[in-house]
Amino acid sequence: MGELWRRLWYLLHRRQMQRELQDEMAFHREMLERGGTPRRRFGNETRLQEQAHETWGWTWIERLAQDLRYGMRTLMRSPAFSIAAVLVLAVGIGVNVAAFGLFNMFVLKPLPVRDPDTLVRLQRSAPGTFSSSVPYPSIAFYRDHAKTLHAVIASTDRDVILERENLPARTRFVTSNLFHELGAETGLGRVFDPALDDRKDAPPVVMLSHTFWEQRYDSDPTVVGRVVHLNHKPATVIGVAPRNFSGLGLPHEPAFWAPLVQQPYFVEGSTVLTDTSLGGLVDMWARLEKGVSPKMAEQELLALTNELRRQSPNSVWDNERLVSEPGGYLQAVRKDDVPMLMLVATLVLLILTVACSNLGGLMLARGVTRSHEISIRFALGASRRRIVRQLLTESLLLAAMAALAGLGMGYVCLRVFLSRVNAPPWLNPAPDWRVVLFAGGVGLIAAVVFGLAPALQLTAKRRRGTRSRQILVTAQIAASCVLLIVAGLLVRALHFAVSSDAGYDHEHILVVDPDLAAHGYSATTARSYLDTAQTRVRQLPGVISVGLTSMAPLGHKNVTSLGGYPFGIYVSRVEPGFFSTMGIARLSGRDVQREDKNEIVVSESLARRMWPGQSPLGKQFLLDPSNALSEKLTVVGVVANARTMSMHDPDATELYQMSDDASLPHMVLLVRTQGKPEDLATAVRTVTSSIDSGLFPTVRRLSESFQDEVGTVEKGALIASLMGASAVLLAAVGLLGLVAYAVSQKTREIAVRLALGAKRTHVIRAMLRQFVGPVAVGLVGGAGLAAAASQLLRRILYGVSGLDPAAYLGAIGLLTIIIAFAAWLPARRALAVDAMRVLRHE
Amino acid sequence: MPMESISKQSMPSGALAMLILRVLRAGPLHGYAIAQKIHVLSNEVLEVEEGSLYPALQKILLKGWVSAEWGISETSRKVRFYKLTAAGRKQLEAELRDYDRVTEAIKAILRTA
Repeated sequence: MGELWRRLWYLLHRRQMQRELQDEMAFHREMLERGGTPRRRFGNETRLQEQAHETWGWTWIERLAQDLRYGMRTLMRSPAFSIAAVLVLAVGIGVNVAAFGLFNMFVLKPLPVRDPDTLVRLQRSAPGTFSSSVPYPSIAFYRDHAKTLHAVIASTDRDVILERENLPARTRFVTSNLFHELGAETGLGRVFDPALDDRKDAPPVVMLSHTFWEQRYDSDPTVVGRVVHLNHKPATVIGVAPRNFSGLGLPHEPAFWAPLVQQPYFVEGSTVLTDTSLGGLVDMWARLEKGVSPKMAEQELLALTNELRRQSPNSVWDNERLVSEPGGYLQAVRKDDVPMLMLVATLVLLILTVACSNLGGLMLARGVTRSHEISIRFALGASRRRIVRQLLTESLLLAAMAALAGLGMGYVCLRVFLSRVNAPPWLNPAPDWRVVLFAGGVGLIAAVVFGLAPALQLTAKRRRGTRSRQILVTAQIAASCVLLIVAGLLVRALHFAVSSDAGYDHEHILVVDPDLAAHGYSATTARSYLDTAQTRVRQLPGVISVGLTSMAPLGHKNVTSLGGYPFGIYVSRVEPGFFSTMGIARLSGRDVQREDKNEIVVSESLARRMWPGQSPLGKQFLLDPSNALSEKLTVVGVVANARTMSMHDPDATELYQMSDDASLPHMVLLVRTQGKPEDLATAVRTVTSSIDSGLFPTVRRLSESFQDEVGTVEKGALIASLMGASAVLLAAVGLLGLVAYAVSQKTREIAVRLALGAKRTHVIRAMLRQFVGPVAVGLVGGAGLAAAASQLLRRILYGVSGLDPAAYLGAIGLLTIIIAFAAWLPARRALAVDAMRVLRHE
Repeated sequence: MPMESISKQSMPSGALAMLILRVLRAGPLHGYAIAQKIHVLSNEVLEVEEGSLYPALQKILLKGWVSAEWGISETSRKVRFYKLTAAGRKQLEAELRDYDRVTEAIKAILRTA
């Protein structure tokens, strides 16, 4: 320890130490001279001193400083090159930093709450079944009995009507320990308190989210204590959540927070607190007791689940267990997400590859102009290692500057992204230590990748310029080819999604969701409500027809699909009139009928997959293909394909069955209008809410949801196109530089050939021949890589094949044209040279 | 790089460190005096050159076996005096012990073989 300290002291005081050493050695000489030793026997003074202070062990740092100073001077001498290099690499690093920053924000960075690491999210899992929510009675049971859990938090979302407005406001109903448990007591007013707010007879209270308080109440502090009406029920505002309060990181910041026990007060008839099925959609979190690992908690909870099964058999599945995932983060990575993450990582790394190979080419080309300098340094006795180190230091300098610029670019990208998606204020895009470390790491790797090969080559005894140039060209072309093809596929998919027939008429339909299930409706009461509503809406002028379905088209709610088949089958419970209202064409057979039990109507895609080449009518359909004894359904009709559930999944098929008792409370009304549907929205809302004053039906246009879906692809295609475009631009610039360099190398040869009467086309061909191979290999390799990657893209390609020829040929064609242009430009310039002048000059 | 090993050939560096520590046992000396003393004590057989003396001194300083202080030389010039530290004394004893053991062993082999 003492030695290290002394070494450091030497480093910090090395000028003084050097002076002292010099003094001391001068004295030694004086004494020697006095003793009569002849002067010529003294050694090289400087060298002797160097040897003495080399023992301090800091020579490398001095050499590094020297290299850095020298590198800086070299870069300053050719500012155009330096700026171009930094920019090219900054784009490559910036894209990676932005992608990693997003990943960091969602997955790696803990939420800004107290002790995020001891929070877990708990979800139900059994073989073949999974549910992200847990019935509230079960949650209460776990809370009361689990010893490994310090606290249990539950949360459920619900839209409510504020005062008399039409627009719904999102309210998050939570257990009242939430704010204390997450350490968020710093807002305005007070937060929920289990002692005050957890009794069912407690006075109804709500809290405002900070954003809603700003937008709706103009940050007025006197709002605390005021009475507001949610779903026409009065409640007192007791406080405002802190500005940076993330809650448990659920998407869509709510407008209001309210105690979960008061949910039935606001939502009339709600059974969320007593329902043991999954109707309530309550999410469960827990804070682990000190020193308890998630695994230990899972074990105790498994025992409790078995106990719960004994007490209330209906609320637990066979072989059910609660599984935990980290709860203190915005998003936990699941197995399903991995392919998509890999895909994005590959795409951004490809851009980095293009940038690196590009810069490698630039360095190589520039290195030639420095070959003079390098040979002088060799001649002066520098070793190859020393020179490579010097060249690498320069690359490192470039990479460091690019990493800094990339960090900035990534930050700007994230800011723009967050502002576009209305991110909550607590999401902070500023780079933290992980992002900085990442940028530094990427910069370092990039420096080695683009710097090492040219450095080795420039210092090699025998120059083999073509080989590394060819590798660089191949890598660039292949990477840009992949990016272009992926971009092309996404653009094609967008085009397909927008232009192709969705299979139904989304322009003239209103979707009315009375959400009967949430209000505790039974099959009988739901039936009577739905009948009344249908009759009254049908009487409105401008309404053509009304249909009912359990799965609102593009609604992402109450989604039911069959497992066990190799393709997705969405099961909708519908009533007669659904198909005509939606505008889904009937191809053969009949519509569903009220008396139907096991009769079903299938989509054409399902019929084709199940019984290719046969008539599906009268065929038997097994609900569970692995169990021959499971319920058998008979096909009575076939309708056209309608991409009502997932517009983007080419494998999705549809199955329709007559509604039953279980599905009736989940029914939504579809209203087909003659003119614009928005003109009728208010009338439809008035009519459907007048039947039961406790209900607040939501009314939305189907075309709105349709645009949202398309918008998602549009964004993806835009980002992919931008990435593809930047990659192609980088590749073009890089190739231009490489060809220009290759040509400049051969100016004399060209001049001689021209002087001897060679045809210009021949000369061009001879010059460009070396690039043909690498470009071809790059294109083919890139197309192959893209084909492999497209399997991952399949689900979001909206029915466009991952091997879509238009995308592939388009990308390859475009790339070839750009390459040809990039090669032709410098080649042409070379041919324009005056042969005689070149020869004379040389 | 070049010229590095000329003076070192005459004496292994580990031995030089031991000799330096040994001559400092009697009291603080400056660099030139150390070289002279080794020269004299070895009956003018061992010659310590600058090129090996000062690196060795720097190394011993780093190890903490000697400390340096500025003083005035016999020619009334400012010069650094090296003084054995407690750690250096311990090191010297250990090295002498080792050295004795090794020479005894070598002698034994030479006697019998």
